[in-house]
Amino acid sequence: MTNKEERDNHRPSINPVLAHLEAIATGIKWLTRKPMTLMYPDMEEKKPEYFRGFIIFNYNKCIGCSLCAQICPPRAIHMYRVPGDKRIRPGYDAGRCIHCGLCTDICPTDALDVSPVHDEVFEQIGSMDFDPVEWHIISKKLVEEHAKRKRKLVITRVDEEVGLRYEPVE
Amino acid sequence: MIGRELGQRDGYRVVELYIGPQHPASGHMRLVVYLDGDIIVRVDPDIGYVHRTMEKLSEIREYVRVISLIERMTIIDSCNITLPFVEAVEKLLGIEAPPRAKYLRTILCEINRISSHLYGLGIGGIFLNHSTMFMWGFGDREVFVHLASLLTGARLTHTYNIFGGVRRDLPQGFKDEFLKAKRYMLRKLKDYDKMFFNNPVIRGRLENVGVLPKDKAIAYGITGPNLRASGVRYDARLLGYAAYSELDFEPVVGKYGDGLERVWVRLREIEMSLDLIEQALKQLPDGPIFHERYAKMVPPAMKKWFEKGRVKLPGGYVRLRPRKGEIFSRGEMGHGEVTYYLVSDGGMMPYRLRIVTPSARNAIMFSILPPGNTLMDLPAIYGSMDYFPPEADR
Amino acid sequence: MVLVELAKILHVPVWALRGFLAPLVYPGLAVLLGTVLFLIWAERKMAARVQQRVGPYYVSPKLHGALQLIADGARFALQEIIVHIETDRLMFILGPILTFTFLTLPFTVLPGGPGIYGFRSDFSMVIVYALLTLSPITVILMGWASSNKFAMIGGGREALLTVSGEITLALAMLSVAAMYGTLDFVTAVEKQMHTGIIGLVSNPIAALLFFLAMLLLTDRVPFDIVLGEQEIVQGPYTEYSGVLYALTMAIDYVKLYALSLAFTLLFLGGWAPFTTPLLGAISVYIKSLIVMLFSVFLRAVYGRMKLDQAMNFFWARLFPLGFVALALGVFVHVIYA
Repeated sequence: MTNKEERDNHRPSINPVLAHLEAIATGIKWLTRKPMTLMYPDMEEKKPEYFRGFIIFNYNKCIGCSLCAQICPPRAIHMYRVPGDKRIRPGYDAGRCIHCGLCTDICPTDALDVSPVHDEVFEQIGSMDFDPVEWHIISKKLVEEHAKRKRKLVITRVDEEVGLRYEPVE
Repeated sequence: MIGRELGQRDGYRVVELYIGPQHPASGHMRLVVYLDGDIIVRVDPDIGYVHRTMEKLSEIREYVRVISLIERMTIIDSCNITLPFVEAVEKLLGIEAPPRAKYLRTILCEINRISSHLYGLGIGGIFLNHSTMFMWGFGDREVFVHLASLLTGARLTHTYNIFGGVRRDLPQGFKDEFLKAKRYMLRKLKDYDKMFFNNPVIRGRLENVGVLPKDKAIAYGITGPNLRASGVRYDARLLGYAAYSELDFEPVVGKYGDGLERVWVRLREIEMSLDLIEQALKQLPDGPIFHERYAKMVPPAMKKWFEKGRVKLPGGYVRLRPRKGEIFSRGEMGHGEVTYYLVSDGGMMPYRLRIVTPSARNAIMFSILPPGNTLMDLPAIYGSMDYFPPEADR
Repeated sequence: MVLVELAKILHVPVWALRGFLAPLVYPGLAVLLGTVLFLIWAERKMAARVQQRVGPYYVSPKLHGALQLIADGARFALQEIIVHIETDRLMFILGPILTFTFLTLPFTVLPGGPGIYGFRSDFSMVIVYALLTLSPITVILMGWASSNKFAMIGGGREALLTVSGEITLALAMLSVAAMYGTLDFVTAVEKQMHTGIIGLVSNPIAALLFFLAMLLLTDRVPFDIVLGEQEIVQGPYTEYSGVLYALTMAIDYVKLYALSLAFTLLFLGGWAPFTTPLLGAISVYIKSLIVMLFSVFLRAVYGRMKLDQAMNFFWARLFPLGFVALALGVFVHVIYA
């Protein structure tokens, strides 16, 4: 694609007047096109499969192997002792999490999984640190709330005219 | 006021101008500019404002955890920067990724290269106050970020390459989405030419500004598109890592070495990357995406995930122990060539990981290019060299 | 007519009422402020559209963000005005106020429609030109008073560019004056209506020069060298905050409005084809609005020109072209006569 001749005269001198007119014409051409912005708080993008958002935890499936805490790159997962439970269980600091999803990959029982929840707001730093039981509860709550959101849900598609377009999904 | 601060430097009466770190066009760094009238006499780049001790931090992390650490050096180009490290560790582990994984790595690398170039072009545009180029660059980058998120499940920090393969298989419908994106981008590149590259105002800003001759570029160790713009045919992809040895490509090489040439090389490399992805998608072999040594250690109940196109890791994956040894590896990022020098003492963590990033090597251009140009050329030079401070500071 | 009766009711002479209403209502301050608010919004919306964005929106979603500027203005009004210790206090504070005042003065003689003017003078073009050239002086002083290197460099650039831009503007105006044989805007418009050929057609070179000089003097995008955000932060206005900063932002738009009115009167036939005051005023306003919209649209097309290239462009290309325009003006004058 980049053969020698093309490379040697790749910078042809331009006609200043024509180039000015061409630039303005291009501007006017794009003035009529639609924007590619996702109007985010009003509509929400349906995330692709296995999108790595908030990590959700199922306490009942956990076997307490602590592999997730070992692989977690920012040490967002720590193992806790839960009263009345012989095994140690993972707790989660959402403020430290980088959403790499390695913990869900190494979990041998699918107790951990990725979720499309990525924009949950916590008002205090302390409230982002969950012990195992809290993590189980908040995971359930977040997933349920996410399914019930009333925003318009759209799916992102690549468009040949304007780059990206957003199709409503049912 | 200026009279008070006039000083002598190298025999000139000069004004010292501190541009940055809080300046609309400085980035995370400071440029100390010495001005004689409107002419720049000397520039001292003061880098290191975003130094995060990546090399030291990687010495206290297991190998898997290092991957998601080092991709934070260049968050816009995270596949390209982790790939040489992953391949280096793979060599010490004595494994090789399956062919399909190699192709998938290549595809993501090229998607990342396009986003990185678009980011650089956008920043270069706003440095010339061309707001449309800025927004177009960032907007069209969104298309490729979307493709990457389809492939990996994350927009920027993919953590896609792992030792022995990749984490996700190609999703359904990816090829169609990519082909549409390719057609869109090729059409848009023509508008880039009209609006930006052939715009007489922009030509005036970039033509013959910050000329880097071939000999100087080699002597100072410049790398990446900046080096190729000076007419040196050097591209680490020619080494043939990942699947590059099986793809047909020829690096884009410029001639003049000025700002416009650097922009041109980036624009044409976007075309080349689009072509490479299409080739890779066409030749994509079937097969596993994860090395079977680890795949067979995965608990049987989790094997179902492999059929769904998602990799599960075995329990021992955290405590990988590459053999004792030293290894040097490199790869081509969007900004240039990244090199890793990895020393392993046979333990679970790297003994030493030396990283030289392309921006760190290109930072010298701040000192050698601007002197002799006017103050208005400084942003033009900065914008044309696609410098990324967090990457240089590591 | 309305004016005369209004003067009778208020028991003031008609000329005093004119002198009061023209600079303060139309074409002066009141309409001016509305225009500036609309113009900035339109500029942002147009640039956003070209750049595939939405632009200001969430301040008033139903009006597509038209109230954004009012929100910004309220924010500026409530912000503390920081005057740092090294400034020349008096000049620093007076700078934007004086500049803004100088720039509202041309509206006393700029007609906004048939019979709508503050004072009618045989030399109104010269008066407008002279009053507009006052403002760069205070801008340069602002740059000096800020005691900031970026502001100082910006002031220097303003001085350089003003000199080159105003010569071109003067030549363009002169060629129109030669063409119509008058230095009065009203007479110029009447001549255009009389001959039926607008200035843009009879002397396109002068129109082009006037337009380019207008872009330069009002810091529109290919020539926004004085502001030069990427090199010198905000040029002479770097140190300003609060209401004073809002004023410095408005300076260029006020200038643009004044010059667009002049452009309309000289080259687009003023209030043609109407002769009644109301329709004439609307015609003038809409024409100058189109000129303004086109000049702010260029923000989406161009980057910033280099200082030496802009100087070279104006002195080596446009200045000689100015004499051609002047010769053409004289030639057309002979034909008209």
